[in-house]
Amino acid sequence: MVALVIALALFFDFTNGFHDTANAMATPIATGAIKPRTAVALAAVLNLVGAFLSTEVAKTVSGGIIREGSDGVQITPEIIFAGLMGAVLWNMVTWLKGLPSSSSHALFGGLIGAAVVGAGFSSVNFESLLQKVILPAVFAPVIAGLAAYVCTRLAYALTARHDPETGSKLTQKRGGFRTGQIFTSSLVALAHGTNDAQKTMGIITLVLIAAGSQAPGSGPQLWVITACALAIAIGTYAGGWRIIRTMGSGLTEVKPAQGFAAETSTASAILASSHLGFALSTTQVASGSVIGSGMGRRGTTVRWNMVGKIALGWLFTLPAAGIVGALTALLVKTGVVGVLIAAIAGTGAVLFMFFYSRKSSVSHQNAVEVEEAGQAVRFAKKKAMARARAEAKAKAQAAAKANNPKENQR
Amino acid sequence: MKWLELLTVAGATLVSAAIVVTLYSLGVRFTAIAADAQQASPGVKRSVAYVCFGLCGLAVCFGLYLIIPYFSK
Repeated sequence: MVALVIALALFFDFTNGFHDTANAMATPIATGAIKPRTAVALAAVLNLVGAFLSTEVAKTVSGGIIREGSDGVQITPEIIFAGLMGAVLWNMVTWLKGLPSSSSHALFGGLIGAAVVGAGFSSVNFESLLQKVILPAVFAPVIAGLAAYVCTRLAYALTARHDPETGSKLTQKRGGFRTGQIFTSSLVALAHGTNDAQKTMGIITLVLIAAGSQAPGSGPQLWVITACALAIAIGTYAGGWRIIRTMGSGLTEVKPAQGFAAETSTASAILASSHLGFALSTTQVASGSVIGSGMGRRGTTVRWNMVGKIALGWLFTLPAAGIVGALTALLVKTGVVGVLIAAIAGTGAVLFMFFYSRKSSVSHQNAVEVEEAGQAVRFAKKKAMARARAEAKAKAQAAAKANNPKENQR
Repeated sequence: MKWLELLTVAGATLVSAAIVVTLYSLGVRFTAIAADAQQASPGVKRSVAYVCFGLCGLAVCFGLYLIIPYFSK
């Protein structure tokens, strides 16, 4: 059972990594600052480094939401198994839909569902739930969005160049932001590593302690840290191209200066929150930043129906993962056969979604379309801009339908 | 409820992001000016730009220094 849970936890880490590549790398890919392949490789390495940098967060992540001990529920490997199952399946579903959703919320949801089945509703600490999950979910996008809005305004105001005599616009020369994006997106990837790999480390340590093979109160062991770091790095490298597409071009059009502002806000929000102890979800921060930077530049439209879809996804994350977690917990309760059924059903569901996704695959090849479209717009003259944009959009749609990469002519 | 922490996080995010973006934008702007055709002292502008980029890098490094527990022990 312990081995099964560890395997599932590592797989969760993998889905977490590939779900969240988009947070760091969607905007630089969209503006063409980094080539897609290089971007995911960079993100993978930085996630690996980040996972080793800090292990302070590891134990505090899921603590407190479920009442442990005498008046609540004893955390057993079975409950963790059920919780993880919920989280992994929900992660796969949102990936299939291309929705950026919080992996940590999926994990919380799964654990809550499992705990409710295990010990009833009294085992869930609703005040802690409100404080750790629901409020941050509301404020994370707002804080990051506000910061990104202000920063985008700042960046454009500071680099706007007018001729002092005639007042006409000069060449703006904002190419420098593209180079800057490489650094800021790296920072986001690093922050993600320090944050998200910790959750899995915490879970595995929890299982080891519950199974009695590790002393209570001790930190994660080295092999646990290494395995988690590797799992999240591999996941990141695999790249959730569907979500990258949503974040990079589905929400708003991203220009280098905007991307720079959004990434800076994301990085500072994540780092500030994990340092000051009010944990925010990476995904929600990143989505908020992209929306905020979209609102900050004049002449950009934010696609609010896409925003609505994402918000709806966030709303469903907790209950959906919870239901799957609860069902799995019910199965597991029946004994060894139940565990086997749950494991096989889970694997089957994951495989089904994987093969279903092959039908309309989104890979680095057609995520490139985003970059080329962005460049076509960048170099076009102002009058031709709208036309180029419409063309690029039509082309992207056609390419998505035809499912093979096409060249964009300038 | 941890309203104070929420406010701190919001403030810290806004301030740090604004500092980094301001410095970098100034750097970009000075680079642009230095590259203009008729320019009195492109060398000075260029070095100011580099100073801005450097300060921006320092700000980021300081942030990392604060966050990584290895240093603050």
